[in-house]
Amino acid sequence: MASSPSLASPESGGPSRLAGGIGGMLAVAAVLVVAGFSLPVVISSMLVLTLLTQATLQALLAISVGFLFRQNGLTSFGQAGWFGLAAYTVAVNGRFGWVAPETAVVAALVVPTVLAALLGTVIVRLPHLAFSMLTLAVAQAVHEVFLKWRTLANGDDGIEVRLPKRLFGLDIALFQQPQTMVVIVWIALVLVVVALLFFARSHTGLLTRAIRDNEERARYIGYETLLPRVVVYAVSALVAAIAGVLFSLYNGFVTPGLLHWSLSGEALIMAFIGGPRVIWGPVLGAGLFFLLKDFAGDHTEHWPAIIGGILMIVTILLPEGLAGLAQRVGRRLWSRRAA
Amino acid sequence: MLVLILNGLVYGSLLYILSVGLVLIFGLRRVTNFAHGGLFMVGAYVGYAAASLGGFWVGLAVSIGVLAVFGVVIDRAIFRPLTDRDPVNTILVTFGLLLVLEDGVRTLFGKDFLVLKPPVELSGMVSILGSPFPSYRLFVIGVAVVVAAVLALWLMKSRVGLHVRAASVDPVTTGIQGIDTEILGMMVVAIGTGLAGLAGVVAAPLMALSPSMGGFVLIDCFIVVVTGGLTSFTGAFVAALVIGQIHNLGVAYFPAFASLVPLLVMVVVLVLRPHGLAKEAH
Repeated sequence: MASSPSLASPESGGPSRLAGGIGGMLAVAAVLVVAGFSLPVVISSMLVLTLLTQATLQALLAISVGFLFRQNGLTSFGQAGWFGLAAYTVAVNGRFGWVAPETAVVAALVVPTVLAALLGTVIVRLPHLAFSMLTLAVAQAVHEVFLKWRTLANGDDGIEVRLPKRLFGLDIALFQQPQTMVVIVWIALVLVVVALLFFARSHTGLLTRAIRDNEERARYIGYETLLPRVVVYAVSALVAAIAGVLFSLYNGFVTPGLLHWSLSGEALIMAFIGGPRVIWGPVLGAGLFFLLKDFAGDHTEHWPAIIGGILMIVTILLPEGLAGLAQRVGRRLWSRRAA
Repeated sequence: MLVLILNGLVYGSLLYILSVGLVLIFGLRRVTNFAHGGLFMVGAYVGYAAASLGGFWVGLAVSIGVLAVFGVVIDRAIFRPLTDRDPVNTILVTFGLLLVLEDGVRTLFGKDFLVLKPPVELSGMVSILGSPFPSYRLFVIGVAVVVAAVLALWLMKSRVGLHVRAASVDPVTTGIQGIDTEILGMMVVAIGTGLAGLAGVVAAPLMALSPSMGGFVLIDCFIVVVTGGLTSFTGAFVAALVIGQIHNLGVAYFPAFASLVPLLVMVVVLVLRPHGLAKEAH
């Protein structure tokens, strides 16, 4: 099964641009990583660093939504399920001390990924709308379990995440102070974006986008169309789980709210206001979301209505999101200069 | 045990009234209304407000009317302009609408739980095979039966019902035959949202009113709709009864896993029949 260039979907600019971009992409990533280290030096305000850490974690969750839409054309309403499940895996293990904390961290990444893969074999086949409804239903069911199984997860009160002094040889304080954690989550974000870009250019990445655009034709050519889409769904769960693990280490406390659909909804809003067709769109969306929320929090209690209204307006007027708009404007300026 | 099954039937009835609205709207507009739970909630509050002026029955009638009109507005403003776009657009817009509705109701009525009492004539108990059972709950089952019967008669026997069925299979061909599918779509959305209003008021005496009351019912409705096969009225009817029953038994016997049981049933159905309970696949 050789990768066929015609599989590339039009909005990515075609395979020739893909091949040329890798060096540039890695250079940008390297610059961003270095910039990450300078964050705590440049920003002295603890409040800003805390907000930035939270925004970056949410951006990871938003990226998991955007990636699924970009590759599979599907909208998940339940990414908080994977996020919260990962966070709870670390926390519950800390409570009962079943395995070493390092093993728990690995398990917290593996368990949501495997569960998503299994679930995916059933729900990825469904029509788009049914898929969205069921991601919501599954995540809420997980939420209920952690809410009601008190002996395991202590219900609504949540549990403290008990951690050792050192994790993977790193001082645990590094994960818990905003001025160091902001660097860690930032680097995680950059690495995840780079990895997802590589995935998008891989054979599976191109194939899933071909399936997204015309499943029947892809099957006609002779491709197996279920498995690649299941892989995409599992990867999106993995990204959400990475965010969940980092959150549990940083926050040191987990509550059922982490699994609630309102968090999934926030991630969805960020991804689509930002524009999931562009890989960094959800990151832009997360940044804007936090800025707006912080600003609105000072002035009004009607944040849900405001963000709901913004979501409606952006969806109707700018279906490709702000990143899509930025890209289009950028391209137009670029071509004018070239001409 | 009998009371348990009856209670499952009551919950299944509510699920049916809500789900059939989703199925109707999906059939003609090919969209999923993520705000349906929000409309259910708004229906309950509208009913509460109207009932405080004119009693339960006035509340019921006003709520159905207001929500049907609201359905026309939603259809004109959201569903119709977005029909040609990717389905994600309606998901997002109706989700945004849900947030706005919840916030609006919270502002108007406050966060505290409100209680709508059942009408006096239905506040007693009846004896069913020796077990006492609230007559209001029996009324809820009756409402669902009436809704199912009226819908079935309308869809199967009337001319408009025929048009609705035709349009939900193939809107273009139906349009070519000289039927105004736009008016039809608007009407069907209004019926769907009106039913959400009906369900909201009927459910209100059984549960406390809060701005977030729609959320958990909506999720069970989604399971019903998908299990039933998205476009099938019979499928939704059967699935609502089964899921309602299973949900209640789950709550009684495995409280921690109650929400997982309907999901497992759905997964089993979808593995065996990828298009749900309904016979024909779309």
